[in-house]
Amino acid sequence: MKKRTLFFRIGAIVILLAIAAVMMVIGRGHTVYFDNKKLEYNGETYDTPYKVCVYVNDERVAKLYDKERGMATWIGQNFEMTLEITQEKGGDETTETYQITLPYNMDGIVINLPGFLAGLDQDAYITEFVPVATEETTTEEEELPGDEFGIDIDGDI
Amino acid sequence: MSKQVKAKKKRLTFGQFLANNSVPIMFILFCAVCIPISGFSPSYLLNEIVTRMGRNTFLILCLLIPIMAGMGLNFGMTLGAMAGEIALIFVSDWQIWGIPGVVLAMILSIPISILLGAFCGGMLNRARGREMITSYIISFFINGVYQLVVLYMMGSIIPIKHSEIKLPRGYGIRNTVSLLNMRQCIDNLLAINVNGVKIPVLTFILIALLCLFIVWFRKTKLGQDMRAVGQDMEVARDAGIKVERTRIISIIMSTVFAGFGMILYLQNMGNLSTYSSHSQIGMFCIAALLVGGASVDRASIGNVFVGVTLFHLMFIVAPAAGAKITGDSMIGEYFRVFISYGVITVALIMYETKKRRNKSMAGQELAAAQKEEAQ
Repeated sequence: MKKRTLFFRIGAIVILLAIAAVMMVIGRGHTVYFDNKKLEYNGETYDTPYKVCVYVNDERVAKLYDKERGMATWIGQNFEMTLEITQEKGGDETTETYQITLPYNMDGIVINLPGFLAGLDQDAYITEFVPVATEETTTEEEELPGDEFGIDIDGDI
Repeated sequence: MSKQVKAKKKRLTFGQFLANNSVPIMFILFCAVCIPISGFSPSYLLNEIVTRMGRNTFLILCLLIPIMAGMGLNFGMTLGAMAGEIALIFVSDWQIWGIPGVVLAMILSIPISILLGAFCGGMLNRARGREMITSYIISFFINGVYQLVVLYMMGSIIPIKHSEIKLPRGYGIRNTVSLLNMRQCIDNLLAINVNGVKIPVLTFILIALLCLFIVWFRKTKLGQDMRAVGQDMEVARDAGIKVERTRIISIIMSTVFAGFGMILYLQNMGNLSTYSSHSQIGMFCIAALLVGGASVDRASIGNVFVGVTLFHLMFIVAPAAGAKITGDSMIGEYFRVFISYGVITVALIMYETKKRRNKSMAGQELAAAQKEEAQ
């Protein structure tokens, strides 16, 4: 093989690998959950606001009162949300935009809003959401593929 | 005298036109009858056609390269579709969403497609003259390997993390994998709405790029080699063209594009039917291409667009027309299935008949020449 051809081939492979690596970073999807729940951390209690409206990509994804949870999906690590906070019933609303760097290795991320608004460390207000497998999904029998002769995957006709 | 010859020539040309385009003409007539009966509005039909054109055209275009190389209709495109599906399973498990997910799946599908294409091309070189049936059977063989990988190796040997993808037993992939997070991400980006008809501009740009690539590729050295191989292998070999290598490259290219096409197809659908998405894709793409007026040894980009329009127009109107005429929508459903297979059968018969006729005409001409020489 000519040196030039080999060089171009290796170059093409490197470029494709680089694009794939970039896609893996910028395309990482996360499900972000917003918890408007009281947080106890290092012996201190962080109370919930009366109402929080969460906007992601200019779309309202949650309107949360005490002990409520909302959810949004996000692609990438730089999560941006706008919070419309009402501290007390009948009080004024304050609106602010926040940015959070999401951990790459977590699929589902729970953000505790009182902890986040209090300016705590990320470890304090971010936890991983682990879905609990229900009985139904663990015992569910999936119909496996067979072929045109009626032979299923276990070999039974 | 010359006027008579001209008129005869004109008649022959019209006759030839009818003979060459009998399948599309038949489909146009069929659709012309069925559209008013079905009762669908023009905007609905247009919307459906545009959606299906965006979904299927890329896949059908990948059939053109092997035809150019004289390898007939590549039923082995299913191999590329399987490569695309495997890539999508990985991307789905790694939670790469949206357009980056689609791009990553395309990149991941390339090595798998190249491997499968090289294998298929090598096999077809050993079965010269019987490429179509061989590629058809290879697709069944590789489907078995695909099931082995997806059903037994994924989750046990090949790491799969998410339980939503895995079967409840802990290994193997579920019947359906959700692609909701990348659903229509390509179609919706740059999409425009014209009188209620959604036009997926980016998808059409990708299709246009592939068309341009095919047009450009025909003019390259490799493209010319493929055409030469397609016309006569022995002459091409005598001219110094590496026939076997050229044929393998054509199948590899077709398989890689089929992988891309399958990813575009599935991002439009929004879910992946793990064990059946690919099974009929080759058949329907080939049927669509033949409906567009292509044959086993001749196909153009125009045939692809005419074919995808007519074939899918029939797909949309036939069940509704069948339901209106007979009161049973299943009649239309059966009709469109048997039409798909029927079109392929008729095209293959026409190709063989034409080949034999040409052969016998050449024989007769040779005999006449020898007779003349003897006199």
